[in-house]
Amino acid sequence: MNPKSEEDRIELQDLTIAIGSMTLKNPVMTASGTFGYGEEYAPFVDLNRLGAVVVKGLSLEPRSGNPPPRIMETPSGMLNAVGLQNIGVRDFIARKLPFLRRYDTAVIANIFGETVDEYRQVAEILNGTEGIHAIEVNISCPNVKRGGISFGACPDAAAEITRHIRSETDLPLIVKLTPNVTDIAQIALAVEAAGADAVSLINTVTGMSVDIERRRPHLANVTGGLSGPAIRPIALRMVWQVVRAVKVPVIGIGGIMTASDALEFLITGARAVEIGTANFIQPAATMEILDGIKDYMIRHKIGKITELIGSLDTGTQGNC
Amino acid sequence: MNEIQSMMTGVIRENRKVASDQFMMTVILPPSFPIPAPGQFVMVREANRGEPLLARPLSVYGFQKQDDHAVLELLYRLAGRGTILFSKMKPGDEVALIGPLGKGFTIPEGLTRVLFIAGGVGVAPLIFLLQDRFLTAETEKGKKPIFYLGARNVNLLVGLERLNGLCDLKLCTDDGSQGYHGPVTELLKSEIEGYDPKETVIFACGPTPMILSLGRLLKDNPIPCQVSIEERMACGLGACLGCVVAIRGPGRKREYVRVCLEGPVFDLKEVLPTSSVDMQGSENES
Repeated sequence: MNPKSEEDRIELQDLTIAIGSMTLKNPVMTASGTFGYGEEYAPFVDLNRLGAVVVKGLSLEPRSGNPPPRIMETPSGMLNAVGLQNIGVRDFIARKLPFLRRYDTAVIANIFGETVDEYRQVAEILNGTEGIHAIEVNISCPNVKRGGISFGACPDAAAEITRHIRSETDLPLIVKLTPNVTDIAQIALAVEAAGADAVSLINTVTGMSVDIERRRPHLANVTGGLSGPAIRPIALRMVWQVVRAVKVPVIGIGGIMTASDALEFLITGARAVEIGTANFIQPAATMEILDGIKDYMIRHKIGKITELIGSLDTGTQGNC
Repeated sequence: MNEIQSMMTGVIRENRKVASDQFMMTVILPPSFPIPAPGQFVMVREANRGEPLLARPLSVYGFQKQDDHAVLELLYRLAGRGTILFSKMKPGDEVALIGPLGKGFTIPEGLTRVLFIAGGVGVAPLIFLLQDRFLTAETEKGKKPIFYLGARNVNLLVGLERLNGLCDLKLCTDDGSQGYHGPVTELLKSEIEGYDPKETVIFACGPTPMILSLGRLLKDNPIPCQVSIEERMACGLGACLGCVVAIRGPGRKREYVRVCLEGPVFDLKEVLPTSSVDMQGSENES
């Protein structure tokens, strides 16, 4: 095969997917908190090729975050307790969003609040802001004292937050779920009923690590959120549970480092994937994953990515 | 300041022990690797190895650009699993590098007296700074740089061969096995009155106790001091917000800034090192 015809074939692959009213050119997105506000990665990544950029979590007012040390490497993963340090939604719109508007890529604002009203206000500010294509609601951060996970661990609280934000915005609404619950499908069903257009999962798994010489926790916050390949099988299992429970699209997150990792999630039923910790290790990870997905589709003669999504064959094993 | 960052694979030419807990790695890179400024660092990991996951931040010890390749020298202390694995790498092995990163040292105008204060492996960025910026005619007008170098004992004093003849070298050891018997900051304290604050600048890098002690010594002294700080890092690019250090921001307000982007070089009087991480051994697993 000559190179030109191969190129033509690559162009024939249809990777577009829909999340609510939003169409993404492909299912490869960045996970909040691992890609800054996009510009940090522009030297390494063609942002135009991404399905979407999910920016660092935004709160109503700037937050200084937790004291250091904030991170610690653990087997096949890392713990973090950043505590949602961010410049605040208004500064983001004024100083960071203009850069992202130059790209033909969906921008998803990840939002966070300590109270229902703070979430609502951030959504209100973002609604109608040029260059914001969707909102991802973080009800799953394990590293802050108020807000975050306290909303995400209870179906009623998760639904209440979702309803309030839904009433403020027509933007596609994605709710990001925590794995630190007894039954993640329950939470997913609750936010779906409250008007979420999609759910993304999982956020980090709460964890801890101790310096035995000093008899101190490695993180100043004592506990942190575990990310990276260590959590991937947990994430995949939860995506499997949730895709069977809800009708809205599921976005898979959790230790995706390579195209084959991403394909596991897509085949299991995730409509899209978010790449997180991999960006820290290999800044161009998203590009390699996207290319690898295309190669796989060529190899398996799959014209549309939607044919692949949810094509998992469990035989009789999955019908418990 | 060099704003260009690059992601490249380098080949190890040499990786040898220079002290009981320190190694020097020489990496051959494509000639297009951007020239680092003194004080900048690179994120290093073994190519084709999935574990440990994260790259390690190492400051640049030396850099030479040739026609068809570049040579990068890195000095590192065995501080955890990541650096121990680095020390086992052989010539010909590949490393994945991102860099040069961060904001390096700033050279003020009109200097006649330059002091370097280094502890242990903290000598690396300061030797690169000395060799890169203070060998030229402009500084010959002034007095010879003075290099205070401290370590726990004589066997841990590294980089002496690069310093000979370039500066007045003042060695200190905690056990008195060479030079002054005591911390490097104690020797500086006894001599500080001899330096005119109007024409002196200090460049420093070393373990947390040294930086804290330097902070106390210079608290009421107008001599400016730039210090290179280390922290655990995941990305080195400003995204993970893992490597923050507290500083006194505008209006003396305490805030967290990223060592990888706003640093690693800070004004000593602004930085508030509160981290429990040993700055000299800021490994991801310490």
